[in-house]
Amino acid sequence: MEKNSFDAIVVGTGISGGWAAKELTEKGLKTLVLDRGRMVRHGEYPTTTDDPWKLPYGNRATAHDLDRQAKQARTGYAIAQESKHWFVDDIDNPYEEKYRFDWIRGYHVGGRSIMWGRQSYRWSEMDFEANAKDGVAVDWPIRYADVAPWYDYVETFIGVSGQNEGLAQLPDGKFLPPMELNCVEQEFQRKLKDKFGRALTIGRAAHLTGPLTHNESPQRSTCRYRNLCIRGCPFGAYFSSNSSTLPAAQKTGNMTLVPNAIVYELIYDDKKGKATGVRVLDAETGAQTEYFAKVIFLCASAFGSTHIMLNSLSSRFPNGFGNDSGELGCNIMDHHFLAGASASVEGFDDRYYSGRRPNGFYIPRYRNLGKEKRDYLRGFGYQGGASRAGWSGLEYADEIGDDLKKKAQAPGPWNIGMTAFGEILPHHDNRVSLDRGKKDKFGLPILSFDARLRDNELRMRKDMINDAAEMLESAGYRDVRVMDGEYGIGLGIHEMGTARMGRDAKTSVLNSWNQVHACKNVFVTDGACMTSSACQNPSLTYMALTARAVGHAVEELKRQNI
Amino acid sequence: MNRREVLQRVAALMGGALTIPAFAAPEAYAKATAADWKPSVLDKEQFALVSRIVDLMLPRTGTPGALDVGVPAFIDTMLKAVCSRAAREHYLQGLRDFDTAAQAQHGKPFLKLEAAQQKALIQRQQEAAIADEHSAAAQKQKDLWQEVRSTKMLEQRTKAEGPGRKRSFILTTKELALLGFFTSEPGATQVLQYVAIPGAYHGCVPVNQAGNGKRWAT
Repeated sequence: MEKNSFDAIVVGTGISGGWAAKELTEKGLKTLVLDRGRMVRHGEYPTTTDDPWKLPYGNRATAHDLDRQAKQARTGYAIAQESKHWFVDDIDNPYEEKYRFDWIRGYHVGGRSIMWGRQSYRWSEMDFEANAKDGVAVDWPIRYADVAPWYDYVETFIGVSGQNEGLAQLPDGKFLPPMELNCVEQEFQRKLKDKFGRALTIGRAAHLTGPLTHNESPQRSTCRYRNLCIRGCPFGAYFSSNSSTLPAAQKTGNMTLVPNAIVYELIYDDKKGKATGVRVLDAETGAQTEYFAKVIFLCASAFGSTHIMLNSLSSRFPNGFGNDSGELGCNIMDHHFLAGASASVEGFDDRYYSGRRPNGFYIPRYRNLGKEKRDYLRGFGYQGGASRAGWSGLEYADEIGDDLKKKAQAPGPWNIGMTAFGEILPHHDNRVSLDRGKKDKFGLPILSFDARLRDNELRMRKDMINDAAEMLESAGYRDVRVMDGEYGIGLGIHEMGTARMGRDAKTSVLNSWNQVHACKNVFVTDGACMTSSACQNPSLTYMALTARAVGHAVEELKRQNI
Repeated sequence: MNRREVLQRVAALMGGALTIPAFAAPEAYAKATAADWKPSVLDKEQFALVSRIVDLMLPRTGTPGALDVGVPAFIDTMLKAVCSRAAREHYLQGLRDFDTAAQAQHGKPFLKLEAAQQKALIQRQQEAAIADEHSAAAQKQKDLWQEVRSTKMLEQRTKAEGPGRKRSFILTTKELALLGFFTSEPGATQVLQYVAIPGAYHGCVPVNQAGNGKRWAT
């Protein structure tokens, strides 16, 4: 019992879990950090230095890969020889989907902090106020001012490159030098400003474009512009748990990290009115263990954490842990995307770039700001880029033989394209539940998703496509092509909601400090906590909320309130 | 829409910011030159035909060509491990049809034609295939434009991955030849240019200051 007792337990080592581990251990708490997947130490990225000719099959997925990882393959990029080992096997890790649902994830230490897109945007006051103003779902129990100092703190530690723009809808931050826009993007930026008054800025990305302003991450160095981030970065140039927060936690001597530890249940003590620990299944041996702690942080990903809570039944919580409100599992959100346009760009034939920038441009939200009222609520931002075509697609060249080789040698034509990422409203009926009749190979009931885009998103999508085409046309680009891609909720890999924060325990699962309303020593600080989705990439907000919640947890422990 | 198409569309949408990872290929190259290597999907004649086509598409010039880097073996490997059974059968049927076209037009199998005749046949076949794909893409654009401009709300497109439009034999061969060739070391480093660790990003430079001014392999 003693050896299984800690001050704190963190479930999950992804973006949120890594932050919880770092903050708890740095504040002196003996912390057990559990991950359901295998161990990955910083640097253990098997394909990271492979040249193109070292990867089999032209880096494409084999038929066997697609059999095993069919759902992960819906991304279009995850299941490639360079990166497939970071994504789950869908046969071993099944889920049900009433409508197409894309749950894209990896089970290993570091979680999706290894494969994430690294785009890091603050949410604005407008985003935290939106639900209250629109009368949608419930109000956020916090405002921008509550999170702002934590954004400062997180950005400073992880290193985010970007350009301050002074926009109300996309607050400035503590940035490392911005990456460069290329020639065409610079031109497009000017045209957008002139013709539409819209901003275009370089993506704010969690990459070191210069030295960090602290000395706590000696294992990290600056970006080498290989753009092989999805493989894991041996330079630690982008933020991941493995390169950043877990080494910080390790350094304190207060962390016990246990991989292959599937947390399947919270232990609730009715008399104390507290959770006392977690039950764990060893992914390799099936052995069951109980671990105990004063405070528990669920950071197992939105659906991972909700899975654990749905599976934690007690006489106090017969419908799932902390689920007095009935909102646990409800209000699934993501960002819907693959809606936009692309075009060919003439001119600039004498211009090129060198290095592979792991980043693109960002057009912050401009719809439904101020007095504008579209036929939908909220808005979207665009992520895109311009580039000269590579060799892919040269099958459409008329040439063969020597002429084809000559054509291939010269830089290809310029193209520009962008897809919007649109806000999804929290809808009670977009939900996930446990299917107790179906078990995975560990004998645990699997998740069943029932979620789809609703009218607000589908109306927004038209603007997402139309506006992109209009901007490209106005800029004078040729052959504008629109796109409305196949999308299931989750494909944005920005899944949010299912244990939302709120002011009222009757209508929400978590309070303003990410504590379970009905059990204050359990904190949920991953995407599950989100009350609305905004349209900005959410990871930075998870980090800020996690650090903030740990600060509160430690204070409350000192005050003996939890 | 197959995975490749998804990838290309996403990449197109991101203006290529999401680089289609070009990395790849083969241990198969080493095998291809080994004396005991045998194709596993293609039979001897089919292998010879594919070899001839890719040699004409990407010949050895001042730089290595498709045969130098083992593209035929790469294609055989891709047919075996990467293609679905249906895609493989489609390809093999296309290959037979291709040879039938040679017979029909010249009274001889492809491999017995003069080089000029072979090149011309490839050109004709590829021209038709490209026109076919372009017109399908144009139709899709037209339909989507119409939908976007109509007052009707868009529907959520949830069709998961499935058998998409099947590419013609000639364009599949060209696509795989390009993939195998430009992910090989000679293709990437001698025909195009490749830098494993650029170290810096310069967003807007004269072409002749972007390395050696050739197209980047990745």
